[in-house]
Amino acid sequence: MPDEVNPQEIIGFLKPRIGARFRTWLKICSHCGICADTCHYYIANGNDPKMIPSYKVRFLVDLIKKKGKVDKEYLEKVYHTVYHECNMCRRCTLYCPFGIDIALMISLLRSLLFSQGLAPDGLVRAIENYKKFGNQMAVTEEDWVDTIEWCEEEMAEELVGLKIPIDKKGAKIMYTVNAREPMFYPQDIMEVAKIFHVAGEDWTVPRKEGWDDTNLAMFCGDIKTAKYIVQNTFKRAEELQVKQIAITE
Amino acid sequence: MDLYTFLYDLATGPLLWISFLTFIIGSLFRAGLYIMASRKMDKVTHEHFSLKYVFLGLVRWILPINRSVKKNPVFTILGYIFHICLIVVPIWYVGHISLWEDSRFGWTWTAIPDEWADYMTLTFLAIAVFFLLRRIFSKDIRLISTFSDYLLLVVTALPFLTGYFLSHGTLENVSFFGENMELIHMLCGELMLILIPFTKLSHFILFFFSRGATAVEFGRRGYSV
Repeated sequence: MPDEVNPQEIIGFLKPRIGARFRTWLKICSHCGICADTCHYYIANGNDPKMIPSYKVRFLVDLIKKKGKVDKEYLEKVYHTVYHECNMCRRCTLYCPFGIDIALMISLLRSLLFSQGLAPDGLVRAIENYKKFGNQMAVTEEDWVDTIEWCEEEMAEELVGLKIPIDKKGAKIMYTVNAREPMFYPQDIMEVAKIFHVAGEDWTVPRKEGWDDTNLAMFCGDIKTAKYIVQNTFKRAEELQVKQIAITE
Repeated sequence: MDLYTFLYDLATGPLLWISFLTFIIGSLFRAGLYIMASRKMDKVTHEHFSLKYVFLGLVRWILPINRSVKKNPVFTILGYIFHICLIVVPIWYVGHISLWEDSRFGWTWTAIPDEWADYMTLTFLAIAVFFLLRRIFSKDIRLISTFSDYLLLVVTALPFLTGYFLSHGTLENVSFFGENMELIHMLCGELMLILIPFTKLSHFILFFFSRGATAVEFGRRGYSV
């Protein structure tokens, strides 16, 4: 991240993204405090007032008021709040009389920070993997197919005739997994294959990218990559003409 | 013309018009601006728009049949009573209706009994004081409160306080207030009306859009609206 923060960049990023809802929410929040004890961070931190959801979005009001004229330390403070004090669960919104969507505003702040090069290392690495390999664990197509075939072989001893169909056109269900499964937990794929087989489901897994249903890019507000990941999955589903996409547990 | 006559003529003439028109036109503008900005920037609301969710959400939150009431019954019910008094007393108080009848419009409608207006005003003021004390003494609410939160609570309560004084002659023997209460009451009311469209008091209309938009967003995902 550069040492100097460019105010124009910050305002330029926020302006086209602060729609009617955001403006209204920031304006009408009556600071009634109903959201306070709906937040698990508030309760887990001994009812710390700093954890009140409506307090956490003060940065958005502040950034607009200051026209983006903030320093690096300020952005780091924002980072701490949006990553360590809110996991965007939206529970507060369920209790807010105005239905103010705090999580959406936190997400916007994460996007802003990402545009300024501020994001958790783990997520940034995953994003690189998504872009290069289409999945978060950098599994190549060859490794993916190998793993599936190996799973199928292993299972065949237990359940005769079990198949994990790859790229079966016209199947009913396209099954997608978490990229950690082929990497660390292939037994999860086997268990699911067992269920599909015994249930007699018509299913398949795609060969090309799109089989990873995690979307870590979404968590740091990298909307572009998040969209790319989902699009891959839908592209595969359309190519294979399946009726449903199933995602792993 | 002395200052009092000048101010009185102002408050019952031009300022009255200005405040009502600012309130009405300003609120319509707020609504219009929301719709325009939302059409342009909140695609999700329009792509997934569903009257069913909006209606369900609004009914649930206008009436006390939502999960917040279940979780904080005392605070939310006080909030409901506060808002009911705030709307009912100014519109259905007999003194106000007779002014409408005498005006160029000649409008009239059934008033609530005077005692009701009295009790509702006192209830409203008591709740306003409770809200203010809560803002000052609860360390949670104090942290999230801004200057305008305090100011607008006072601005909202003043017309009721002065109205009560005026109709009961409470401060009649205090020279300045005794002579000017009617003027003070009118100015307080006008100040509040003028501030509504420009401050968070505009939630009286933006509530419908905010809760409606969230109802669409939550409804389409199958969450509770």
